[in-house]
Amino acid sequence: MKMRRDPRSEREARRSTGGERPRFSLMVLKPAVGRLRRSPRIVRQAATVSISPRLRIAWNGRVAPQASGAVLAARAPVETMRVVAEPAFHVLVVPDTDGEGGLSEIDRQLIAAGRSLADSGGGAVCALALQGGDDLGGAGADRVIAVTGIEPLAYDPEGRTAAVLTAIAILSPRHVLFAETPDGSDIARRVAARLGERLFAGADALEAGSDGDTRALRRAQGGSLAQSAKLPRLVSIMPDAFPLHAGLPHEGRPLDEVPMGAADRRISASRPLTVDPDTIALEEADFLLSGGNGVTDWQGFADLAEALGATRAGSRVVCDQGHLPRERQVGASGTLVTAGCYFALGISGAPQHLQGITRVGHVVAVNTDLHAEMIKRADLAIVADAQAVMPALIRLLAERKGGGDD
Amino acid sequence: MIRVAALLSIGRHPASGRARRAGLDARGLELALRMPNAEVRAFHAGDPHAASLRDYLGMGLETLNVLNVAPGCDPVPALVEALRGVGPDLIICGMRAEAGEGSGMVPYLIAEALGHAVVCDAAAIECASGTARVVQGLPRGRRREVVVTLPAVVLVNSAAPAARAPAFARARRGRIVPHPVEAREDAFLAACEMRPWRARPKRMAVPSGGSAQERMKALTEAKAGEGRLLVNPVPEEAARAVRDYLVEKRFLRGAGDGDGRG
Ligand SMILES: Cc1cc2nc3c(=O)[nH]c(=O)nc-3n(C[C@H](O)[C@H](O)[C@H](O)COP(=O)(O)OP(=O)(O)OC[C@H]3O[C@@H](n4cnc5c(N)ncnc54)[C@H](O)[C@@H]3O)c2cc1C
Repeated sequence: MKMRRDPRSEREARRSTGGERPRFSLMVLKPAVGRLRRSPRIVRQAATVSISPRLRIAWNGRVAPQASGAVLAARAPVETMRVVAEPAFHVLVVPDTDGEGGLSEIDRQLIAAGRSLADSGGGAVCALALQGGDDLGGAGADRVIAVTGIEPLAYDPEGRTAAVLTAIAILSPRHVLFAETPDGSDIARRVAARLGERLFAGADALEAGSDGDTRALRRAQGGSLAQSAKLPRLVSIMPDAFPLHAGLPHEGRPLDEVPMGAADRRISASRPLTVDPDTIALEEADFLLSGGNGVTDWQGFADLAEALGATRAGSRVVCDQGHLPRERQVGASGTLVTAGCYFALGISGAPQHLQGITRVGHVVAVNTDLHAEMIKRADLAIVADAQAVMPALIRLLAERKGGGDD
Repeated sequence: MIRVAALLSIGRHPASGRARRAGLDARGLELALRMPNAEVRAFHAGDPHAASLRDYLGMGLETLNVLNVAPGCDPVPALVEALRGVGPDLIICGMRAEAGEGSGMVPYLIAEALGHAVVCDAAAIECASGTARVVQGLPRGRRREVVVTLPAVVLVNSAAPAARAPAFARARRGRIVPHPVEAREDAFLAACEMRPWRARPKRMAVPSGGSAQERMKALTEAKAGEGRLLVNPVPEEAARAVRDYLVEKRFLRGAGDGDGRG
């Protein structure tokens, strides 16, 4: 960046020592010393994204300045995809292995974090496709490596570790990024232990160091200290710490498939267990059946929860009346729930109750009052008597279980 | 008889910062103590005079072996050496330490050095001859059972049963056996910069495109429901609507494969 002239330091550079009075030589011009000053005009010019139709300045430097004026814009070819043909280095991204096969939110964040590391030095992001590679390019990946010989949805940390180790051996990436989620963090630590390298576990942010290198930040000492270090090779990344890739899609070109490599498996069998939904803590439960003052048939309510496989919850009124234990109360003075689905029966939707379900994904409500707040909040609202809907739903579910599909 | 080693660290209260028994390690010790037919030995790498070690003794341990590793030193080689001498079938510890770096690497490094298997997120352990059944506690209350060949390192998470309260008399009676060990300074940690954690603002997904007004609206508008509304349907119709909605959003499995309750 061009610097503004600093007349004071230039004058200082001309000062000749000795003598009683200050004297300045007009001949010698030593190089200017001291702090160089930035020119705000030049900085502003560089940050200007567009001038028309209105002035737009991106101070964070994240938006590339467009060529000003419509003429220049018309001449530039329209890019629809970014291609990194000759990468200077690779950043290997190991997507989280949880879930149902698609790219999860944390996977996209991981690829975006890899993107920012790669873009700082002309590198390419290479994603390991452990379970189908849908839209890895759109998320910001330049290359995709598929692994052969791995069960896509099985719990197999040892096999996945072997696959990651093979990919590292083939690519020799500059950085390897893992997700700090239950399964992802397990694989990250297995890989780090096998390689004998330091894992920077649970990075929360990347920042520029004083000497131009990238430093990573994580929480240590139970979260009370911020620990920062020069970014090592193996990094695992906290969920929701990095923004998603917002630019053009990348190539996502498939590379040669790699074999999984020899895994010495000590975990021999795994199977999901069925859990009693009522033993799940309220804030953890994914599917809640919640009853309010409009429910009178509590036996039917329990049967419906059983038939749906849902965890039971209630409003404060029903907990006060003793129909449900206190730890099953949803709301401001109960539990703030995070369920994917909240099925409310006979709940009016008082503000204190709605505060408890702000982070819920889908709401289904049954209420006799068309104007209840809960009906307004619901994604599927049914104005009907809960006592009539509950047995009908139980019958419908039993029918389907017994008699195949309809 | 199965030989169990419990690795215990000193925790840190999240609010006051005072030393305490580490929650996850205590849960691990609880699992070890509940195990029938097990010979439990406990190890701690650190200061043998730490007062909170007594809390572990109060849970029912007779002795606690303390490897005298100075703060800032790498505890792994000393622990590996001590465990090699014992030759345990099962090593139990918490997923992550509450104090220090807390990266959760120690058990994996120990397993690697000893050639043991690793199972993380354990909520319950049951040992048979040569194998152990471990129930893993996963997010959203899900559980998974895995079978692992012993010897193994099992990492306990917060889904495991809560640790019993320490009994005062037992805590007084129990013995702490210090072992002098040599440990090298952890060069990586020494090179790290530490400063108090400052909470950063939560990241929001900023919508792109549209006018400034539209972007502002997308950010600030309260989330309203999709608003499908049925007024006074017959119960069967209401039930079908609810069922179809739940199946569509995948909260009910499709017909034929049961609904996952045992
Ligand atoms: C400080 C404070 C904290 C509070 N904290 C909480 C809290 O954490 N959680 C909480 O839930 N509440 C809390 N409340 C109470 C809250 O204000 C409401 O009183 C409470 O949520 C109402 O519960 P409800 O919807 O079950 O009952 P009601 O308000 O009585 O609503 C019953 C609903 O059922 C409908 N209904 C009636 N019969 C039927 C039928 N046969 N079929 C279908 N629908 C029918 C009615 O139309 C009505 O909408 C708090 C209150 C205060 C003052």
